[in-house]
Amino acid sequence: MRAMYLANYFIAGCIASSLLGWIASLHPMAFRAIAFLLATAAVAWVMCWLLDYSLSQLLKISVPHLQALLVSSWTMILIGLGVFLCT
Amino acid sequence: MHLKMFVLSASAVALWLAPLTALDKKISWHKAVQGVSLCAGIACAVKASDIARKLAEEAEIEVIKERAITADVVDEISTSAYVSQQQRQQEAELMLTSPGVDVEASRQALEAIYDNDLQDSASTSDSPDYLVYLEVCKSKESGKSPTWIIENILKMGGRKFTDGKAKLEALMNQFGGGK
Repeated sequence: MRAMYLANYFIAGCIASSLLGWIASLHPMAFRAIAFLLATAAVAWVMCWLLDYSLSQLLKISVPHLQALLVSSWTMILIGLGVFLCT
Repeated sequence: MHLKMFVLSASAVALWLAPLTALDKKISWHKAVQGVSLCAGIACAVKASDIARKLAEEAEIEVIKERAITADVVDEISTSAYVSQQQRQQEAELMLTSPGVDVEASRQALEAIYDNDLQDSASTSDSPDYLVYLEVCKSKESGKSPTWIIENILKMGGRKFTDGKAKLEALMNQFGGGK
């Protein structure tokens, strides 16, 4: 059940990424806003990788859990946007 | 709950992929349907994960309950085993100590038999007057007079002196064979 719980959240993240792509396709301004959002997210993602030990203490989770969270969030965005752009 | 969760998961995937592949992005209402479908897909996935989380927590609680029951049973069994072990230990101690009692009792019985053999009167050893007779004999051997014996050993001085004299004669006749 725990695997289903994580898998469903992963699917939700993928669908949210596709929704972001869909919002970006609505208007050029929306595209810019989503591009800015994704760029900010990418910077934050890199910062999280660099500050993983400090963040793990701040969020009170283990470093492997934080790294798994970062990898899965990257994968979700990649899959969601990939599905939206390829269809 | 399981069926609902699986249906919601499948619905989420279907609502995510089907509109994106089947509908044209250039047609406005298709695009609107895609957006609604993606939102519905997110809702389905979040609801399914919520149900899965509840089921996982229930399973964990069941596991904890089973562990608690198992621990109770193990504790009860170990307690009963400890009690039975204590009982067996007490029984063993009793068995170990009881032969000593038997030996003591046997020793006393043998001593009594030996004394009776010495006195050559094994049949009278059970009589309470026999001890009195033995004391009388000892007193006589130490040179005490019959009067002293009647007053101090038979405790029949004064008015009872005549009765004491008769009792002494009776004792001597009974155990001493008229000596």
